[in-house]
Amino acid sequence: MANDYALFLGCIAPNRYPGCESAGISCSKKVGINLHPLKGASCCPAPGAFGSIDLNVFYAMAARNIVLAEKMGMDIALECNGCYKSIWEVNHKLKHNDDLRDMVNEVLKTVKDPSDPSGKSNMEFKGTIDVWHLIELYYDPKICGVEKIRDSVTRPLTGTRIGVHYGCHLLKPKKERHFGDTENPMWIEELVGALGAEPVQYRKKMQCCGAGGGVRGYDIVHALDIANEKLINLHEAKVDAVTEVCPFCQLQFDRGQIEIQEKFGKFWGLPVLHYNELLGLAQGMSPTDLALDLHAVPVDPFLKKIL
Amino acid sequence: MARTKGYSDPKLELKLRDRYYYRTDSNPDFSKKVKDKSRTVSHMCFQCGTCTGSCPSAPRSSYRIRLFMRRNVLGLEEEALTDPDLWLCTTCYSCTDRCPRDIAPTDVIMAMRNYAYQRGIVPVNFLKTVQAIYQSGHGVPNNDVNRAARVRLGLAKDPPTTHSYPEYLPGIRQILDHWKVKEQADKIVAESEKKGG
Repeated sequence: MANDYALFLGCIAPNRYPGCESAGISCSKKVGINLHPLKGASCCPAPGAFGSIDLNVFYAMAARNIVLAEKMGMDIALECNGCYKSIWEVNHKLKHNDDLRDMVNEVLKTVKDPSDPSGKSNMEFKGTIDVWHLIELYYDPKICGVEKIRDSVTRPLTGTRIGVHYGCHLLKPKKERHFGDTENPMWIEELVGALGAEPVQYRKKMQCCGAGGGVRGYDIVHALDIANEKLINLHEAKVDAVTEVCPFCQLQFDRGQIEIQEKFGKFWGLPVLHYNELLGLAQGMSPTDLALDLHAVPVDPFLKKIL
Repeated sequence: MARTKGYSDPKLELKLRDRYYYRTDSNPDFSKKVKDKSRTVSHMCFQCGTCTGSCPSAPRSSYRIRLFMRRNVLGLEEEALTDPDLWLCTTCYSCTDRCPRDIAPTDVIMAMRNYAYQRGIVPVNFLKTVQAIYQSGHGVPNNDVNRAARVRLGLAKDPPTTHSYPEYLPGIRQILDHWKVKEQADKIVAESEKKGG
């Protein structure tokens, strides 16, 4: 059971980029990580939207998702930085702040657990599990590690240059997280290198994609201008693709490039791939297996280099 | 607005005139409320500006996180909550990472947004997410194009979330209703639509 996790899907991966979901499940299986569906999970909830309007609701909604995994007796694995912010952070806060935990349990205790047919058991946050991002499980030598990822590759991405966008909520704020340096981390680059690709450094690598905090919905051109700055810097470094570990960043860069073209008259045509999709390609999955046709920016120029 | 000391010698009154900073709209309770909700201590801020310098929103707008930090310390509730720039924080936490006083300016912004929302000041896109989650459990719900793609990939057409297990939705609505967020969201969205917003 050591490497069994409840997979928390979130919204954008299953409902916009299902390739991230299917690749996440099948790729992690090949490196010895088994993901099980977390039945009845909801939106994490969106940390920008919910955190901004009422932090208490944010804590309680995230706690409900955590409780579902507690009842399964499994740690949560997820593949989105936004979900990581909600689920990891609320789990951490409720474990360490009795006042918050009591406040949340006060409400959860009145919520029925539909998986119990007798209708007698309710929800309660107990703090018995941990929460992980799949990418940190991939990197962790105790679970998987870079070597195991390298060994799982059947179609190396040789000759491609890939920029890494870490996203914000996985690493930051660093004093609450456990990833160390947030100014120029290099560990996802190691994982990209393990696939045979060349990870490329570029200016302002750690800048936000611009979508978070509800800004994409509030002021789309402002959000796009932030993404555009990153695209300028990625273009300057002559990358073939950008990879990220957050479907919301992916949406912002992928669909955002179409919106940037509409609003600013600039087209970059830079393929955007979740690390799971990249790993899927390197493990021999076909572009159709990954539903890469759902990407707004065609991935073909990148595929031509590796297929 | 300085206070008069009322000294009899006008020369001394001038020399020793009150130079403290007074604002009639300053509300000390606001500073305290924000501190309690944000769980960070913004009165430690010495206004160095590292936060604004790290902010991806600052170079393309008038949003200045340092200004909001000052408004918090001075208790300038009206000014902080009615400023539309409050909603331009992408919550990237760069300011929090770099703050030399170990404050979390991002969390101060989140707390201020909470209080703005309580007064009905909130952009509708935030509320539409609440309505979507109340409806389906997802902020970004599934659609037909995506369902077809999921089936092609060998996945169930709906993910194993509330989409496949709607029996979990009442519990979610119960949580949202406890804090009356759906009610508040519906009210503000309806008002904004009436205004043609």
